[in-house]
Amino acid sequence: MTDALTVNAVQKHFKGVHALRGLSLQVERGITYGLLGPNGAGKTTLIRTILGLTVPDSGEVLALGVRMPDKAVLQRIGYMPQSTALYDDLTVHQNVAFFAALSGVTDPARVDQAITLVSLQNRAQSRVRELSGGMRQRCSLACALVHEPELILLDEPTVGIDPQLRVQFWDHFRRLNQAGVTLIVSSHVMDEAERCDKLGFVREGTLLAEGSASELRQRAGTPTLEEAFLHFAENGASAERIA
Amino acid sequence: MSSQRIFHVARRVIAQLAADPRTIALILIVPIVVLTVAGILIRAETTAITVGIIQQDSGADAGFGIGFVNLGERLTASMSTVSDQVTIVTLTPESADEALQRADVDAVITFPPEFTQTVMDDHAIHLNVAYEGSNPMAAQFLQGIVMRAAVETLAGLSVITAQAIPEITIDAAYLYGGADFDNLDYLAPPFIGLFVFLFVFILTSVSFLRERTTGTLERLQTTPISRLELVIGYMLGFSLFALAQSLIILGYTIFVLEVHYAGSLLVVFLVELLLALMAVNLGIFFSTFARSEFQVVQFIPLVVVTQILLSGAFWAISAMPAWLQPVAWLMPLTHANQALRDVMIKGFDLVQVAPYVLALGGFAVLFVLLSARTIRHQAGG
Repeated sequence: MTDALTVNAVQKHFKGVHALRGLSLQVERGITYGLLGPNGAGKTTLIRTILGLTVPDSGEVLALGVRMPDKAVLQRIGYMPQSTALYDDLTVHQNVAFFAALSGVTDPARVDQAITLVSLQNRAQSRVRELSGGMRQRCSLACALVHEPELILLDEPTVGIDPQLRVQFWDHFRRLNQAGVTLIVSSHVMDEAERCDKLGFVREGTLLAEGSASELRQRAGTPTLEEAFLHFAENGASAERIA
Repeated sequence: MSSQRIFHVARRVIAQLAADPRTIALILIVPIVVLTVAGILIRAETTAITVGIIQQDSGADAGFGIGFVNLGERLTASMSTVSDQVTIVTLTPESADEALQRADVDAVITFPPEFTQTVMDDHAIHLNVAYEGSNPMAAQFLQGIVMRAAVETLAGLSVITAQAIPEITIDAAYLYGGADFDNLDYLAPPFIGLFVFLFVFILTSVSFLRERTTGTLERLQTTPISRLELVIGYMLGFSLFALAQSLIILGYTIFVLEVHYAGSLLVVFLVELLLALMAVNLGIFFSTFARSEFQVVQFIPLVVVTQILLSGAFWAISAMPAWLQPVAWLMPLTHANQALRDVMIKGFDLVQVAPYVLALGGFAVLFVLLSARTIRHQAGG
């Protein structure tokens, strides 16, 4: 089986901004991979490139073994954007059912399952505009999961979600991994990162370092991930200067 | 292309609007308010007209020391003096029909060889007027002018008036329309098109703008749906509301305002549908250039009002400066107005309005492709 994701030397320039500078990474199937870095590090551009929403200037992206952009493979990929991206006038159920239908889901029970999964079964008939921020976030997650994708990209999924629900989310992510589903989660919250199987530190459009949370701490010789990130960021910068 | 996905988008668009009863009420009520006010104002308006004269009157001797008189010529002369809004053109019986059909003249008055003699003998002025008729303002206005001219002419002939004021009758024939056609009959067809165009344009540009700003468009792009499927789905969803609105406007104008219609309502509907499809895509296209709903509102004077002014709805295209006329024909609304007027006033069938219908369909296709393109450009950024 091919890897869930292969990113090969991807470069992307926007007007005056060098968002991705030859970034490469590889993610095997069935794990949760955390993309960690400050705002503006290039995480969102990377996720958009993986989805084929942004076409790289050079390099290539293979999602589930298919070169992106590719419309057909999107049916097997789930995406939860940073903004909730829902139709405010419609109910939770209508939103989830709409995105399910576009991805070819025909079984209506799957819509209910996805809503139950994010604990919104009691609000299924509420309009999205009546929901709290956390509930919207959950509805957005249901839309990303409803078609049972093999690869799921979550852009800052737990922002604005209370701790109890966050635990629930991670439990579910774990179960998905066991079923062979790969998750790629972007975050700038370090304690969130502890839960990922593998982490990639992203800074200024490049991958600084990669490994499990404990590996990264060990290599940096620091007690926390935060300090480890700073360690790699400084060393990366000095390495650049020497080169 | 998946008809399933198109259907899901259409159904979602419908569900969204259905969740907004205030917007629906506005769609349906505003046209009725505006039509009612406009109807009252329009029925009280005058305009400039061109009259063709077929001058065959050979005159007659009036006697009583007045001598030889040609009433046909006198009447023509006083018509041009009673109002500066009347232009007189001399025609031959052969050229008259064509001039009327081409709408070069609004009416043709024929003075037969024995016109003066008949007036003398009968003590009555009997005028033969053929109206082009599709603009009832012209017919009513001309009637007033002719009456005034006749009275003035006779005042100069004291001999005749000394005996008794002659009876003046006008025998009117209409190429299109009829004596009971009024200004509203002339303006209602473009009004019907105008509302559909305006509302569909505003609704689609705002909802598509929201689709961009809330990120749902980006989310849609991460599903297998193609840009074309999305645009067509939008088109289907909004045409349902556009048709419901057309139905109400048409019903109101025909049954309440009692506007006349000569042609098939089915053809009227077809034109409305095409106009709505065109407007959906124009709305999607223009939403690309707006960053907020305020900006969408500011597109209305540019895209909607300018187009209405140039569309021949109120000011005839033939009366525009020559350089402006091709511009008018580049406006999709112009074709819709022409088709609606031809069907409702002249009773034309689908074949006769086919050039306009095809042009409208062409615009719709053009804007489908343009709006699908602008969505891709958005994705590229």
